[in-house]
Amino acid sequence: MSRVWCIAPGQQLAMWGWDDEFVLYNDLSGDTHLLSGDSHAILTRLQQAPATLAGLVAAFSGGVDPDDAAELPDTITALLLNLQNLFLVDSRTAGLAEPC
Amino acid sequence: MLTVGALTRKEVGARLGGAGLFLRTGPFVSCIRSNSAVVADGLMQMYSAYPVDDTGYADFHLHLRQSTGWRRWFRPQVHFYHDGEAPFEPMPASHGFAMLEWMLNWCVSGSAHAYLIVHAAVVEKNGHALMLPAPPGSGKSTLCAALVSRGWRLLSDELALVGLDDQLVRPLARPVSLKNASISVMKAYAPDAQFTRAAMDTTKGTVAHMKVPDASVARAAEPARLAWVVFPRYQAGAALSLTPIPQARAFMRVAENAFNYSLTGARGFQALGKMMDGGASFDFTYSALDEAIALFDGMSEDRP
Repeated sequence: MSRVWCIAPGQQLAMWGWDDEFVLYNDLSGDTHLLSGDSHAILTRLQQAPATLAGLVAAFSGGVDPDDAAELPDTITALLLNLQNLFLVDSRTAGLAEPC
Repeated sequence: MLTVGALTRKEVGARLGGAGLFLRTGPFVSCIRSNSAVVADGLMQMYSAYPVDDTGYADFHLHLRQSTGWRRWFRPQVHFYHDGEAPFEPMPASHGFAMLEWMLNWCVSGSAHAYLIVHAAVVEKNGHALMLPAPPGSGKSTLCAALVSRGWRLLSDELALVGLDDQLVRPLARPVSLKNASISVMKAYAPDAQFTRAAMDTTKGTVAHMKVPDASVARAAEPARLAWVVFPRYQAGAALSLTPIPQARAFMRVAENAFNYSLTGARGFQALGKMMDGGASFDFTYSALDEAIALFDGMSEDRP
């Protein structure tokens, strides 16, 4: 079953960004993170609505070079896992109620 | 307005030995009590233009007590008490004024959490504030002192106060702390400036303080908006180098230099973000003070 990704409950995603780099205040840990533009894009997309990996790949495949398109799922997965390690995003198996 | 300089040495000594000298520095009033001549002389020399606040209220209560009894004659020491507690080991009596300065910094950095407190010097010219965050030994205070001696207004040497609500830098202009070789460098560079007698063999090496120009003290209520964050590094013989830093990375470095960034939480994050927004940040390497000052003078003139 596919997993649904969402913003971790309690995160407000307060951010400042300059030149495709962003700083984000983590409401759960109190840490501040330096994020790439790609991580920022995923967070912004998930802030609009939870999404599966396939949904995220579809959302971001538009501007991707065809040569890089095959790597897009792995790239997004790596970013999601990194964001999950920071407690910025969370996931659940599709069909279950918690936490997304 | 009563200033320290309007008091006689005897009056300063009487206040220090009695209810305290209520000294206003920037937004704070400190009640200072001491029987140390080094402290009294340092206050007379370095703080002559500063207001004495006679309202009876103080943000900080500091007591620097010099040894009495037999210890008065054998390696005399000065003890620091804050609100009745002695949080630090005593220091040689000759370090009394340096100790006062460090303890004032300690009081501010430990309790003034209405501000984001950044370990940085801040100077201003033409309405543009230049923040110099840097670790000890980077040449921060030397560069700050040189800029101040050439017409820049001093807002802080050690503790930059950033308003959490308006993101303006509040002046906390106190004597510039110089260490080791930078003392002789600045005495040669600013021969008209006043310096305290050097305190030898402190935990930070040899330390002396440079008096703040009266013009900076007179503008103690005038905040400034940040224009640049510059991380300075003195390197003997190095060519002048000003390298832009991505603003998000500069944000992280300023946060690392803030004493209470974690404590201020989301408010500190927002304040720092707003402060950095619209500014520019650089790594800066220098070896010649005149070159450095010419560069910053040019930046202050070019910025609208």
